[in-house]
Amino acid sequence: MNKILDTLNDKVTQPLSKLSEQRHLRAVRDGVISAIPLIIIGSFFLIIAFPPIPTNWAFHQWATAHALQILIPYRLTFWIMSLYICFGIGYNLAKSYELDPLAGGQLSVAAFLLSIMPVTTKAGLMLPMESLGSVGIFPCMILAIFAVEVLRVCKKHNLTFKMPEQVPSSVAHSFEAIVPAGIIILVMTLINVVLKINLETVIQTLFSPLVKAGDTLPGVLVPAFLTVFLWIFGISGDSIVGSIARPIWLQYFTENAESMSKGQQPTHIAPETFFQWFVSIGGSGATIGLIICALLVGKAKYTKSITRASMIPALFNINEPIIFGFPVMLNPIFFIPFIGAPLVMVTVSWFAFKLGFVHLMFVQPPWTLPAPIGAFLATGGDWRAIVLCLVDIVIATVIYYPFVRMYDRQELAKEQEGLSEEDAG
Amino acid sequence: MKKILIVCSGGMSSAIVEKALKTEADKKGVELEASAVGSPQAQDAIENNDWDMILVAPQVRNRFDTFKGYADKKGITIENIPPRDYSPLGGPHLLKLIEES
Repeated sequence: MNKILDTLNDKVTQPLSKLSEQRHLRAVRDGVISAIPLIIIGSFFLIIAFPPIPTNWAFHQWATAHALQILIPYRLTFWIMSLYICFGIGYNLAKSYELDPLAGGQLSVAAFLLSIMPVTTKAGLMLPMESLGSVGIFPCMILAIFAVEVLRVCKKHNLTFKMPEQVPSSVAHSFEAIVPAGIIILVMTLINVVLKINLETVIQTLFSPLVKAGDTLPGVLVPAFLTVFLWIFGISGDSIVGSIARPIWLQYFTENAESMSKGQQPTHIAPETFFQWFVSIGGSGATIGLIICALLVGKAKYTKSITRASMIPALFNINEPIIFGFPVMLNPIFFIPFIGAPLVMVTVSWFAFKLGFVHLMFVQPPWTLPAPIGAFLATGGDWRAIVLCLVDIVIATVIYYPFVRMYDRQELAKEQEGLSEEDAG
Repeated sequence: MKKILIVCSGGMSSAIVEKALKTEADKKGVELEASAVGSPQAQDAIENNDWDMILVAPQVRNRFDTFKGYADKKGITIENIPPRDYSPLGGPHLLKLIEES
């Protein structure tokens, strides 16, 4: 068993964690994360505009009449989040190269904006806001990387304006970005204005197979499996899988929100909220099931004390105390339920959404809410989401049950033999 | 007074461990100040404060070398937290780890 685990660790876990440490992926991840507060708050205005209450209630009528105004905070935050993400990626990537992060952020935004063609209307020159929304996610990532790489290469080859020594350093500093800014603006103008290449369409087409795949049943099973697989080795599977999959999840989520804001039905099953509220309940591996079983059958002293210590965080989806405390990490007893429960829950939930039993998600509640509440909010207030979430919790509990009993008996036996001090101390 | 920084993935679970460590330190009468951050904030937290020691949570140990890079620049000791000590019950072991370093 140990041999197999060592091999898996060397061959799969290590390369995957190395990949997530790759500089550009890290910058993309941190840039996306930096926009999450705006996404969370912005998405709540969608619930206000489309409240989950009967249409004949006064508040519903007021909200429908004022939807345009109510949605303005959403439009200027969540809807155009690619703009914020672009700055965040440029900032973080420049920082990782020890370049001026502000210049990195600004040049990235410039490159991104220059990829969009303004349109002339009667009211004047307009930038289509849609381009800064879901369709802009992949373009903004690629252009932020492009901009910062230009900045880096210029700096490396000393392609900067040399200021005389009398010039204060802060002024001289601000001239450092002139050459890269020139290159970026020229290249982007050439692509967008002279050659009339629509980068948005090109990049979207390139990524479209990936985007299509991520919403299918295999497309949700794979990230769910990889997440718990990495956690078996005690490595944060969510953050590694997320750094690769989050841009796609974000695109689903933004498109769903856009559909809602237009009064249409959302179309995507699996934004990140799918995993948050219907799979990783109590934390990755649906460990809420483990905790419920431990509360039901736990007799060993160690089971009881670690359960007491980790059950409150578990309500808020924090399960490191469980993973490292019981432990689940590298503990063969828990391999089957820790991987199996999420996969069954993914399948059941995916079909529940696919068959239209539950409203598709377009709101992002903070991930630390108890799952039934998060599920309710994420679907814009669909009570059936609570039912599905509870069904998932029951599934997790049933799958964990025999294994938790086995674990508890082992701990009990150890304690009776008086061998437990070393492990439990 | 020792100042300890615990780095985890989002700053949530390390807050639990931070509390366990503080409780244990109070019990033993050890002067100790601990803070918790998530890995995106780690670089700023390490570079802009004076720490005596940095502890890395097991689930982000794949990023240990990155964090070590920041810590080395400031000459701060940095250690991985052994997985089983990264729980609300891990206080005593952690305190020992800190005192031994």
